[in-house]
Amino acid sequence: MTGGRSKAAVLWSIVILCVVTLSLPTLIIIGASFTAGDIIQFPPDGLSLRWYERLWTLDSFQAALVRSFYVSVICTVISIPIGTLAAIATVRYRLRARRTIQVYLLLPFTVPLVVSGIGMMLFFGEIRILGQLWPVGVALCVINLPFMIWAVSASVNGLDPELENAAANCGAPPVQVFLTVTLPAVTPGVITGGLLMFVLAFNEFLVSLFLVDSRIVTLPVQIYNNIRSVITPDLAAVSVVYILFAVAAVWLLDRIVGLEIFLRSK
Amino acid sequence: MTPSTHRRYTLTWRLLDGIERAAAVVWPRRLHAHTGYLLLTPAVLLVGLLVIGLGYMAEYSLRELDLATYRLVEDYSLTNYQTLIDRPVYTRVFLRTLWAAILVTAISLALAFPYAYVMVRTGSARLRKLLLIALFLPFFIGQVVRAYGWLIVLGNEGLINTALTGLGLPRLDLIYNYPAVIFGLTQYMLPFAVLMIVPAVAAIGEDVELASEGLGANWLQTFRHVVLPMAKPGFIGAGVVVFTLTLTDFAMPEILGGGTSDFIASSIYDSFFQISDFGLGAAIALVLVAIGSLLAIAIFILVGTGTLGVTDERGRRAG
Repeated sequence: MTGGRSKAAVLWSIVILCVVTLSLPTLIIIGASFTAGDIIQFPPDGLSLRWYERLWTLDSFQAALVRSFYVSVICTVISIPIGTLAAIATVRYRLRARRTIQVYLLLPFTVPLVVSGIGMMLFFGEIRILGQLWPVGVALCVINLPFMIWAVSASVNGLDPELENAAANCGAPPVQVFLTVTLPAVTPGVITGGLLMFVLAFNEFLVSLFLVDSRIVTLPVQIYNNIRSVITPDLAAVSVVYILFAVAAVWLLDRIVGLEIFLRSK
Repeated sequence: MTPSTHRRYTLTWRLLDGIERAAAVVWPRRLHAHTGYLLLTPAVLLVGLLVIGLGYMAEYSLRELDLATYRLVEDYSLTNYQTLIDRPVYTRVFLRTLWAAILVTAISLALAFPYAYVMVRTGSARLRKLLLIALFLPFFIGQVVRAYGWLIVLGNEGLINTALTGLGLPRLDLIYNYPAVIFGLTQYMLPFAVLMIVPAVAAIGEDVELASEGLGANWLQTFRHVVLPMAKPGFIGAGVVVFTLTLTDFAMPEILGGGTSDFIASSIYDSFFQISDFGLGAAIALVLVAIGSLLAIAIFILVGTGTLGVTDERGRRAG
């Protein structure tokens, strides 16, 4: 880095402040989940695993966890083919009105979540699928689809189109070119995108809030409903489940594509 | 055919041939110029769900609530929009949300730039990884769990207050107020801001900074006249993302504001689920969409799309 000692001091104090602010809630939740007392306080009443034990006996928590898992799987399974094909189409194929299509496919990001959520709630109610779990997965796929398209587009951009032409020249018909050249080349992007879709669906809260009722409540909605009443340490233990998921996701993302991919210049 | 040729022409090849023939029937060669549209169709239909939802909102917003039957009337009018203008409570909520969006954007950008700069410029790969993990972990943990973490720290029975009362000091109101919401939102937006600024900082060669310092500028002058202007696309991208996300946020004002600092999204929610006036809620929603889109478009027209710019197939920045 250029510059003198004053520059390093100023920049580093801001960076440390940021890192502390970003990490503090996570660390506090982990600490709170191991408390032995009935309330969360400092200094804690000692350490125990009782809140984790309690989780295993709480049917409502387990049911919500399974539902969240189910919804995330549906979201991921739908998004992989749809997002992959859309990414290949927008990057590779000649399209009229490309800009319009790109803007249209970004609608899930530009329309506020509260509006998308209520809008889909009204539509799902009209066609009588509200109150089932699978439409929640579909809705979460809609609102996060740009992430999937973005992840695959990056891979498609890295694939030399001459490779596909070469395969075709050697006599491979279109489907074979797609299955043996295009698809393997974009697989890292597909995995990254699928991972993002799963984790984001797993912790999505606002759209889920509109689409679930008390019979099919998912985990983020249940946490939200609970923190509005009394704050007990069992919620901290539930939150640790999320932290573990996030750690696994970051680790996988780092292994598959490397987090440094986000540092590329533009 | 002899068994040996059978073996040579494997089952997978036969299968592929079958698929190939089927594909040629369903999607003949003369349609190949349109393959792109075929591949796009599922995504277009899926996003269509959202457009249909928007359509419902638009229709509802034009229908007034009949207080006698508690249903929306069939006739279209602009009454709901008039109500928004007439009732000062909605003006207050809109201004409060806009002000929060401005504050959070300013603070996030001010904190995100040094973070992005250090992350790009540091010589230590391990430190870079650590800073990246500190960014991504909260992003993947989700808003509700993060807000819950802050409740534990800042709440009335939270860590800071129990520690204070333990020391015989008075309790502080750290939560259920506007600053708590701003704080929680800033923490939530920081990763978005850093990730949008990083590509712009990475595009600035370190030799440019060296040249500036070689010509006698100190680091503050170098930042002000060289680095910050060159990082402008990053600030635009990050600014638009953070501003629109803050403008439309629901969870932070609800959880950390506790009803004291409702945002526009809370008003929409309350109209639908507390006072059951779907028409009014839909009208607020459409105004929110309009404000967000108009501000983003205005910024794009005035200063370009920054790091949000879409790259087309020839790698040229479009817009």
